[in-house]
Amino acid sequence: MSKEITEQKFSDSYDTVVIGAGNGGLAAAAQLAKNGVKVLLLEQHNLPGGFATSFVRGRFEFETSLHQLDSYGPEPKGGIRRMFEDKFNIDAEFIRVPEAYRLIINDPEEKLDVTVPFGIDNFINTIEKIVPGSKDGLEKFFKIAEEIKGAFGYFARSQGKPDQGVLLKDFTNFLKTAAYSVDEVEDALNIPEKARLILNAYWAYMGVPTSRLNFSIFSLLMLSYMNNGGYIPKKRSHEFTSAFDVKIREFGGKIEYNTRVEKILVEKNKVIGVETSNGDKIKTNYVIANVSPTLVYNKLIYPKSEVPEIAYKEVNARIHGLTAFCVYLGLDISAEELGLNEYSYFVLDSISTEKIYESWSKLQAPSVQATCCLNNADPDCSPPGTCILFMTTLFRPEVWENVAPEDYFEIKNKIAEKLIISFEENLGVNIREHIEEIEVATPQTFARYTKTYNGVIYGYEPESWDSITARFMNMADEKHIEGLEFAGGFGRRVHGYSSSLDSGYTAAQFTLRELIKKGEIK
Amino acid sequence: MSKQDDERFIITVKSNNKDLLAFTKLVSIRKKRFKEAPSTPITSDPINELAQKLHPDRQHLVISEIKEETKSTKTFKLVPDPDSTTEGLAYFRAGQYLSLKVDVNGVDITRPYSISSSPMDSFNGFYEITIKKAEDGFLTEYIWDNWKLGTKVVSSEPSGNFFYDNLRDLKNIVGIGGGSGITPFRSIARQIAEGKLDINLTIIYGCSEEDDIIFYDELKELEKQHPDKIKLVIVLSCEKITLEECEQGFITADIIKKYTDTNNSSFFICGPQVMYNFIDKEIEQLNLTRKRIRKEVYGEIKDISDFPGFPNKVVGKTFKIKVGIGNQIKEIPAISTETVTVAMERAKLVPPSSCRSGECGICRSLLVSGDVFISPIIDGRRAADKKFNFFYPCSSYPITDLEIIVPRSIG
Repeated sequence: MSKEITEQKFSDSYDTVVIGAGNGGLAAAAQLAKNGVKVLLLEQHNLPGGFATSFVRGRFEFETSLHQLDSYGPEPKGGIRRMFEDKFNIDAEFIRVPEAYRLIINDPEEKLDVTVPFGIDNFINTIEKIVPGSKDGLEKFFKIAEEIKGAFGYFARSQGKPDQGVLLKDFTNFLKTAAYSVDEVEDALNIPEKARLILNAYWAYMGVPTSRLNFSIFSLLMLSYMNNGGYIPKKRSHEFTSAFDVKIREFGGKIEYNTRVEKILVEKNKVIGVETSNGDKIKTNYVIANVSPTLVYNKLIYPKSEVPEIAYKEVNARIHGLTAFCVYLGLDISAEELGLNEYSYFVLDSISTEKIYESWSKLQAPSVQATCCLNNADPDCSPPGTCILFMTTLFRPEVWENVAPEDYFEIKNKIAEKLIISFEENLGVNIREHIEEIEVATPQTFARYTKTYNGVIYGYEPESWDSITARFMNMADEKHIEGLEFAGGFGRRVHGYSSSLDSGYTAAQFTLRELIKKGEIK
Repeated sequence: MSKQDDERFIITVKSNNKDLLAFTKLVSIRKKRFKEAPSTPITSDPINELAQKLHPDRQHLVISEIKEETKSTKTFKLVPDPDSTTEGLAYFRAGQYLSLKVDVNGVDITRPYSISSSPMDSFNGFYEITIKKAEDGFLTEYIWDNWKLGTKVVSSEPSGNFFYDNLRDLKNIVGIGGGSGITPFRSIARQIAEGKLDINLTIIYGCSEEDDIIFYDELKELEKQHPDKIKLVIVLSCEKITLEECEQGFITADIIKKYTDTNNSSFFICGPQVMYNFIDKEIEQLNLTRKRIRKEVYGEIKDISDFPGFPNKVVGKTFKIKVGIGNQIKEIPAISTETVTVAMERAKLVPPSSCRSGECGICRSLLVSGDVFISPIIDGRRAADKKFNFFYPCSSYPITDLEIIVPRSIG
């Protein structure tokens, strides 16, 4: 090994090492660095962001995964906007998307084509017009959501030690719905079936059928979108993730790309360091892992004897979420010429979220796609006379396990073609003649760039027993190794961009508190 | 407050007691689920395993055969190095390249070479690359002198976007090649002949000498066997020609029109820099939409100082670059007409690189201070990279002293 390579290695000690520069890792590293912590952020890929990035083909730059960021509205100021603007002064421009979504359902039993706006009142009124008699239930839905939001605010204020009396009195609706699924609560609210199809369209962002999806997490998501609207960064997700990179360095943090952490060294239940694929041996007592517990416990902790049995059990008890399949299209025709007026489309062949979930369990084109036409949020996102379409569907990772490399390209293009045809037929547009650039990302692609377990893009499925409330309430008992915190989509706040960012910030706060308590920083 | 409380809606999902009880049981149910789950560690990750097969970080290869194709050209057969961890070779799409790491007298440099063998051959345990001497000065010189049977070569995964895509491209493909730019089309032609790629390929191949037509016999044979699928048109620019059935001169719009259905074809172009300078103007006359023209990147620009916009006053100058790479900070010299990557390679810093053309982005680095001239051919950077001063050293030339932060090569 050359002298230079040896000199490039890290051997110093750091107050904290953050593993993974995804949304969670970036927010964690920024918060630590800003508070004077000597922090090293290690990322195995050569870019920040994890899934939150972009790529260039020809004259197009594609967004990799973000459809719309919640919690970014200016009025009331969303939590993520407060983090970006007030805490870190992140230099990224965001654009509000024009509508919540256009939902097209093409089930033999039900045909629907409706475009719904942001704003709770507008949203409810739009549904009421299509499904008279749904207003009362929908209003109650959002009232409960407000109370759930309030309850989480109260949890945070009471530092995890809430007064039972206050909870019972002020947050009754939170308590009474916390253990139930979306379907169970919506049944109780008597929201008509058809209205629920429209109301629940975002369930795909959570990737769990409404019969199993925890109500708290879903209603919080709806409340956030309807109150705050949806936002996208002007220069794709790579803009804000790069802005984080620049900011972390400005705060005095160190970032190292192309550096895969291979071992988290643990001794007597305490983190003592990390080792990387580049031969770095770094001393640290604190690690924030923007990595799933699945990989941390099964792969990273060294020696293995330091992994408690219960940690394996926890991982095995939980249901790993879905992975994605995306088709990125650069078209040589404008959105206007195509006749596409909306930004966000949900196109479904089925009204049953369970049937759709089942369709993600077979190697075929699934029954749903969420497609964005970027130009209808940002007309300048591609050259004049062109537009960008970005189609997403989901899969159970197991489906892709046995794909042979020689069949891989053909299989992915076949599924991509079916999604394109489905969009063409449902929207009455011709896309295939206009494809100037195409890229198809499969579960393998997501695994390749992020190394997430099985290519999973979501975290563990938030059924009620494993949703945000249960995760927070059992938090102390799930901390097995001193100095180790988790951030990102597999963290306590459940998956999604804003949750991951939030979880990173929270993990940094916990670590900061420990560092101060131990007198390691002031 | 009390009035509001009176009006307050309180939900009942099952019953008041059951709802509250369900909440209090959340944690115990969670604990019970954990307790009852198996404690078996997870040892496999099939999706990542397949991703690694398709996209290995690197492939350790060894030269198993060298064939002289023409007086200037050799084909190197590369197989997995038995002394390494590389067992199988990554499958690829015909037209892709490998970025090979070559140790030239102790200096590691990388070069992209199109794979000339068929994708299926990767399952037969080999890749072929075909190199023309002197197209890349000192490196090919080195390869000619040093690459022998048994020489070890480290390669990237198959890379690049120069391949046929059935959802994007028309079924009639016109492959325009110059010099060693024939190599990706040989791979494509072979895949067609194997029945694994259902397209019609017309290769228009420009050569400067009659006795230097790479793969002539082989492509002629493929044409004979698959007359409805593969066609070869040779365009010779030399004066004296004895070859029958060929065109004389350069690849012009007229020649392209003569042999292809220009209105119903997608065009793939691959060749050295000089060929692009000529062919761009000819292609323009065909009035094709951008969708139907794909050009392969061709590596580093030969004479950057000839390009408009390159500041003449820095030609011949050497600047200083303060490089932060890993935990090391080092000041190195850099010649204005050589890329920042070359300067780092000369200083043995082993920076990451692959396409050497400003496209793939593997070398993405942060320009802390100073100014670079960026290749006018391709600037594949993301919009936000431009905003925050990230740049691609492989296609950027120092025109002042610089301070940069560079990631290490992947470990």
